[in-house]
Amino acid sequence: MPEKSDVWQGTLALMVLKTLHALGAMHGYGIARRIEQTSENLLSINHGTLYPVLLKLEQEGSIQSEWGVSDNNRKAKFYRITKSGKKELTAAEREWQRANDIMARFSALQGGSS
Amino acid sequence: MKALRRGWKRLLGSLSSEKEDLSDEIRSHIEMQTDDNLRAGMPPEEARRQAKLKFGGLDSTKESYRDQRGLPWLETAFADFRYAARALRKSPSFTIVAVLTLAVGIGANTAIFSLVNQVLLHPPGISQPERIVVLRTKYDKLKLNFEVAAPPALDAMRNRKEVFEHAAALQGRSFNYGGQQVPERLLGGAVSAEWFDVFGARPKLGRVFTPEEDQPSANRVVVLAHAAWLRLFGGDPKVIGRSIELNQQPYQVIGVMNRDFRWPTSVDLWVPLALPPRAFTPQNWFNENLWIAARIRPGVPPTQADVFLKTLTNRVLEQAPPEAKRDISEAGWGLLTMPFRDSRAGVAKTPVLILLGAVGMVLLIACSNIAGLMLARTSVRARELAVRAALGATRVRLMRAVLAESLLLSVTGGAVGIAMAQAAAGLLLRLAPESAAAGLEPLLDGYVLWFAVAASLVSAAFFGLVPAWQLSKVDPQQRLRSGARTFAGGVRQRLRSGLVVAEAALALVLLVMTGLFLRSLARLQETNPGFEPRGVMTASFSLPTQAYADGKAQAVFIRSVLERLGRVNGVTAATVGEPIPFSNEFEGGSFQIVARTVVQGEPGPHAERRWVTPDYLKTFGIPLKEGRFFTDLDRLGTEPVAVIDERLARRYWPNENPLDKRVEPTSGEGKLRIVGVVGHVMQSDLASDEDEGVLYASILQHPMPLGSIAVKTSGDVGALAAVIRDAVRETDAGLPLFNLKSMDTMIGNSLAPRRFLLRLLGFFAAAALFLAALGLYGVISYSVAQRTREIGIRIALGAERLSVLKLVVGQGFVLAAIGVVIGIAAAALTGRFLESQLFQVSAFDPLTIFVTAGALLMAGLVASYLPARRAVRVDPAVTLRCD
Repeated sequence: MPEKSDVWQGTLALMVLKTLHALGAMHGYGIARRIEQTSENLLSINHGTLYPVLLKLEQEGSIQSEWGVSDNNRKAKFYRITKSGKKELTAAEREWQRANDIMARFSALQGGSS
Repeated sequence: MKALRRGWKRLLGSLSSEKEDLSDEIRSHIEMQTDDNLRAGMPPEEARRQAKLKFGGLDSTKESYRDQRGLPWLETAFADFRYAARALRKSPSFTIVAVLTLAVGIGANTAIFSLVNQVLLHPPGISQPERIVVLRTKYDKLKLNFEVAAPPALDAMRNRKEVFEHAAALQGRSFNYGGQQVPERLLGGAVSAEWFDVFGARPKLGRVFTPEEDQPSANRVVVLAHAAWLRLFGGDPKVIGRSIELNQQPYQVIGVMNRDFRWPTSVDLWVPLALPPRAFTPQNWFNENLWIAARIRPGVPPTQADVFLKTLTNRVLEQAPPEAKRDISEAGWGLLTMPFRDSRAGVAKTPVLILLGAVGMVLLIACSNIAGLMLARTSVRARELAVRAALGATRVRLMRAVLAESLLLSVTGGAVGIAMAQAAAGLLLRLAPESAAAGLEPLLDGYVLWFAVAASLVSAAFFGLVPAWQLSKVDPQQRLRSGARTFAGGVRQRLRSGLVVAEAALALVLLVMTGLFLRSLARLQETNPGFEPRGVMTASFSLPTQAYADGKAQAVFIRSVLERLGRVNGVTAATVGEPIPFSNEFEGGSFQIVARTVVQGEPGPHAERRWVTPDYLKTFGIPLKEGRFFTDLDRLGTEPVAVIDERLARRYWPNENPLDKRVEPTSGEGKLRIVGVVGHVMQSDLASDEDEGVLYASILQHPMPLGSIAVKTSGDVGALAAVIRDAVRETDAGLPLFNLKSMDTMIGNSLAPRRFLLRLLGFFAAAALFLAALGLYGVISYSVAQRTREIGIRIALGAERLSVLKLVVGQGFVLAAIGVVIGIAAAALTGRFLESQLFQVSAFDPLTIFVTAGALLMAGLVASYLPARRAVRVDPAVTLRCD
């Protein structure tokens, strides 16, 4: 079993946005589970660390929240991505893509005479 | 944008006390996880445990959430201020003393700065004064350089639109305002059309002059100054369009200016200058009779103005008529500019800066005092601070608490100070001599308020950082262990002593400054002006030229008034002169000495001019040195004669007798034979007597429509005002008199600005001395309280009470003495800035330094004697028993 990676904040925010964008309104627990599933359990997060990130995103206006009731009838706060959040996400994704491309080119370099 | 939005949300988060719903959210999160775990087949206990594990640290989540939600530093700052406010409330006497000291210090500084601001930086009612320049004319060879220029210069500047947005000229005028019971003289400015545009001033009512009204035939319109509008018309808005009578001519009121615009500062009204076209012809280039100002176009560097004037100077010199060309270029003629603000500040510049420096020193002393009090306070609160430190408050946090206290004090003190400053500025202006206060308003504009805020913050930094820094050097552990209620403050006490020494030094500088000005004033008052002012009353008049068209009529008026005055009981002499000494009117003129050729390239003879009647000498008590003075026979139609004073005689006839020599003034009075030499008198200022000498002529031989009446009595001067008024009314009932003043008053007025400056300095020096003594008292009291035990033991062991007294007083005296020594050195350094303002007193006057140092040491002795007396009364039995 491969080792699980830690997640740093900026990346986590991007994952949250992406998750909400793809799946619509979700509560905190759902987001946490979803992130773990999407990464095929390679990522492990302390679910607690998610909440400061959600707060920050909400303060920035990228997401909105609302109290509601979950599938199995529990009271939960649901988060939804906003218009400016979507814009933010597109920009961040483009940034990531570019960084990825660059890294990929370096990875593709063949070892020399070593 | 995103960051801004988030910052705003966090600020709101900090301010709102809304209960967080994070706990609910977390609870539901853990429950959902538990549900999932149960579903995965875990036993209930384990399911719940795993869920909590998965979530991670509850408290750390909550804490980092809280930090994200608001602005933690803001919240701690709030806490600091709340804590500081509580601490200050707990010691009300300290708080009140500190706030009041600061309020007085900041209030006084703000009031003085509001004057500095108006005099030097932002004259009221004038927009962007930095872009206004004033034209000067110089004659390098004659060492002349004055703020006037000739009409063609105005034309040239008005036409240079690339550099100057507007240009305008001013000439002083006075008007007899008729059409009411008592005729009144009004001061006016005759100005060219763009005058108000140059200063960016708009009228409050009506309008200002149009270019068409600036023509000789169409100039019967007038714009009123706000103060004159209130005084003469009771602020009636319907005054616009009304016709008023000035110099027996109808004028139509077309506008009223705003309250803040009054330039020149003494005018009641403005009329169009209306120069005829011939005034602008090249022949008139050297007839300097206008004060010219111009506004430089935005974006054009001010140096462009001087570049333009240099070119203009050269062009004028080249094109000058051949007969004038040589004289003018040999005299070193030229045009240049000076910033309007410098022109506006004039001679007031140095005095107001001295005042600002003095009042700044008072604030510095006040802050030192408060710093001393804060030090004493932190040491009394040693235990409280140590407990806070032990409970985990960091050193930075403790320093912040002290700084919060000082900031709170200074902001409160500053607010009270600003509230007082407006009243203080008003009081200052009422006490100030008219000439100095003219055109100033007790205004606190934005600049002044920023100054007050800055002064408060700098003060807070000063008296807050000292104890804060002190605090950072103390080890809390040691303090707690020692269990002392106060911390023995070797360092602390040294710091307070240092502050007191600095206060004493500053106070001495102020005392020396005041002493020097006091000595200067005393010297000035002893100065003999060359005539006897006692018992002389004066009044000025200006004859309307319609009724007094020629010299004959004017001479008849003068004779008739003097005759009437001569018949009054108690009047020993009466004269008419133009101008008279200390009236601030000057009349200078060039003349030629008949049968003497002027050396090429040398300026010709020049003298102050006076036109007087025969009794002039008797009225003013001026001694006749040689020959005779004017007599009744020197009248229209007899041989024109002149009298000169000793100074002019020495200057132009050093080795010969000037009597019977003939002079010819360039003003065109013909050739005058010198018949007498009289004593020299001072013109307008006891401090400087640099005029070239006086050439007197008989006003009855050369009548003019204006002059001043001077009457001498052996009795009561005050009664003479009515006597003069009656004599004039009997001669011409419609003629207003102005400047009814005794000669003593006029000489006194010439010293008024100095007296005012001295009074303020004296007040600041007294405040400084008091504050410094208070500071010393505080330090010595504290030290006595600390050493009560030691003193008790000394007395128990048989020390004389007197020696205890000496011990304590000696401690205070040493501090004061060190302060005096440093203060003398500092006074020697600052003395350089004062020199120009002193009169016959050296900036390092030993007597002044001796006396003021003595005064300071005495104050030091008193300040340390009071606590010393307490020390002597210590009962050894009591002090040894306690603890």
